Amino acid sequence: MLKINRYFKEIYSSTAFPGIIIFLMLIAINAVIQPGFFTYYSFKLNLLSFTPLILVSIAQALVMLVGALDLSIGASISLLTVFMASVMGDSPLSIALALILALGAALAMSLFNGFFISYLKLPPFLVTYASSAIWFGIALYIMPTPGGYIPKPFYKFYRSDFLGIIPIPVLILIGVGVIYFILSRLKVYKHMYAVGGKEEAAWASGIKIHATRIKAFLWSGVFIALAAICLVSQTATGDARCGLSYTLDSVAAAVIGGVSFSGGKGSLAGAAVGGVILGLLINILYFANVTSFYQTFMKGIIVIGALVVGSVTRMKEQTIS
Amino acid sequence: MTPVLEAKQVRKKFGGVVALADASMTLEKGEVCGLVGANGSGKTTFARIISGLIKPDGGELYINGSKVDLQLGFEAEQFSIALVHQNLSLVPEMTIWENINLGREDTGRLGFVQIDKAVNKAHEALKELAPHLSVYERVKNLSPSQKQLVEVAKALSKHPQILILDEPTASLSFDQVKRLFEIINKLKKQGTSIIFISHRLPEVTEICDRLVVFRDGCSVGVIEREKINQEEVVFLITGKRGEEIGKVKAKPESGETKADTVLEMEDVSLGDSKEGINLQLKRGEIVGLGGLQGQGQGKILLILGGLLSPTTGNIKIEGKSVVIRHPRDAIREGMFLVPGDREREGLFLPHTVFFNLIYPQFSQRETKFFLPWKELESEANRIIDMVALVPPDKNMIVSNLSGGNQQKVVIGKWLAMSPRILLLNDPTKGVDVETRANFYQIVQDLAQKGASVLFYSTDTDELVANCDRVLILFEGKITQEICGEELCKERLLEASLRGGDIAEN
Repeated sequence: MLKINRYFKEIYSSTAFPGIIIFLMLIAINAVIQPGFFTYYSFKLNLLSFTPLILVSIAQALVMLVGALDLSIGASISLLTVFMASVMGDSPLSIALALILALGAALAMSLFNGFFISYLKLPPFLVTYASSAIWFGIALYIMPTPGGYIPKPFYKFYRSDFLGIIPIPVLILIGVGVIYFILSRLKVYKHMYAVGGKEEAAWASGIKIHATRIKAFLWSGVFIALAAICLVSQTATGDARCGLSYTLDSVAAAVIGGVSFSGGKGSLAGAAVGGVILGLLINILYFANVTSFYQTFMKGIIVIGALVVGSVTRMKEQTIS
Repeated sequence: MTPVLEAKQVRKKFGGVVALADASMTLEKGEVCGLVGANGSGKTTFARIISGLIKPDGGELYINGSKVDLQLGFEAEQFSIALVHQNLSLVPEMTIWENINLGREDTGRLGFVQIDKAVNKAHEALKELAPHLSVYERVKNLSPSQKQLVEVAKALSKHPQILILDEPTASLSFDQVKRLFEIINKLKKQGTSIIFISHRLPEVTEICDRLVVFRDGCSVGVIEREKINQEEVVFLITGKRGEEIGKVKAKPESGETKADTVLEMEDVSLGDSKEGINLQLKRGEIVGLGGLQGQGQGKILLILGGLLSPTTGNIKIEGKSVVIRHPRDAIREGMFLVPGDREREGLFLPHTVFFNLIYPQFSQRETKFFLPWKELESEANRIIDMVALVPPDKNMIVSNLSGGNQQKVVIGKWLAMSPRILLLNDPTKGVDVETRANFYQIVQDLAQKGASVLFYSTDTDELVANCDRVLILFEGKITQEICGEELCKERLLEASLRGGDIAEN
């Protein structure tokens, strides 16, 4: 009994606790409001739109763990879709080239942000806000209006099923799980928590602070690239504006999932759950016939709300200690 | 035999401030060498240089007889040197085992961290120091002394050839210090060389085979074990002789009455004990709060200072009940807190001494529109004189002062407002002997002028030297009061340790 009590206490005191409760509530509301929520069809439909969101949430969580923030995530995803839609043709070679280009560009953008933030100690908010303008500018220069070409086999693939039953996004998420499993067992993952949690302590333990921050940004770049590939498969077009909403979404999802703004606290899994929660929320707004302007408005409220919940739990913790 | 470590004329500047001018020392195999000196004499900088954390500007370092290229920023691990940090090197959000292995996790063939191995390593290291601590506990949930023990365990787990302990006992209890010394002696027998940095001279004389004394960034002397005596050490540290440092209490003249009660706590609950705290503080009296670490002494001061709200009970000042919900309330009553963590709670580090001294007055002074700068400046100068600040410059940036002088600024800011009650929360932690004496003098002067003082200290000698009487706390209760002839170190230690027995009876 005692053990179970302790287990519950662990859940209750974890930063993800508010998230879990909200998650269960949202499933219930969705089940009521969305026709056929539990059918295979709508499960797959939700999955298609949730996957990029989950990926960006993880990408955001990674940089938040080391005490930074990436406000350029949305713009970099847009730019990546533009790149891919420009490069892709019908040949498998061009598709492969586009994917490699997407990954390379994502890593380069993350490296850019990471360099200024870790080596030059510039504030992450400003650096990534400014770099988002750069990415957006480049994307608009290449593709002022949505367009480009995404071959049918490519975007069909994202919507198809493996062995006729398992949707491809499920495979992608399993792949993400594997990446997470590997990452969480690497030294650098522990070092990221240390750098974000208490930089001075990490330094005194012989950890290379700058390198660790840069690595966090690079890992984040991997997830950004994956998100962009999923998104471009979903929309089948290159669009300089298509990713913009992901900036706020990713921050919201990470915060809902219990990732702390001050760094070193929370988990990637939490952020992923946060992404699903946010997806369910957006679903509710959609099926309740709320206009898209109002959706944006609501998202803003949600982020503030999630921050308030986070700070309340933090204050609770402080009074205990 | 070649010494394990030999440092010659190590120099280091931070910005324009010279931290080390000319520091040399040698360390033999299986020897405990004490490093003593006032605050800001460069001990910590020296320790960090020989453990490879910072690069010196000049000097030579030989390890096992071979020269180390300091300019490259050498890897101390490779030479098996471990430093126990003064400012904790633990990450609060991480578990004990993660912290102990931090930065040198063992990885398997695939590059994965071997968790089992790491946990075992942590167990092993912690076994003797703190056997009851679970390695899965997060560091943020530990008490300061437990954190310090984990910090020591972290260094021990490296099985170093040279172990450097930078003020390891500052937050440890009597018992824990004893256990640490047993471990040091065992390591010594196994051939580990140890550098022990401390301000507590009795400890240094007990454990060390040899002392190296630092003053103003230079190593000024070496004292062999047979010749270690406190007087000589104090002379080398301060460069002054013939002054009695530390014994300042003018014994109360007989017939002197301290009649009026200034502060009274009636059944004030500290939260974790059913019984409340009852205490009375008379005018001009210095009352010590003693006992083991963390028995609620700090909480009493925080409640009085307005940083914690009491759950039940009554606080009276000069007979009138007062409600203290905010530091503002305490300040209005003339009750001022000198916090334990001066850097976080007592000072604006990036600002000048002047600003730090006068800011409490901003909210108190009745002014029309402008602050009377001239008046404030002369007041600041007066306080600087009073506390004997070194250097006596009101335009110094506080973060550039040594720890002891910073503490003088903290107490100085209240002096201007003529305190009625002063709450001292372990104020001399990490402060050197000379500055301590200085600080005691300030407190005694205040008491003479009629201020009352509540003095919490982890240093028993300090309580004996300063207090009229000492209250011993145990688990949030006052278990004993020691005063008069009984007030001596041995009696205080005994009462602290036996707190539990008395509380149960």
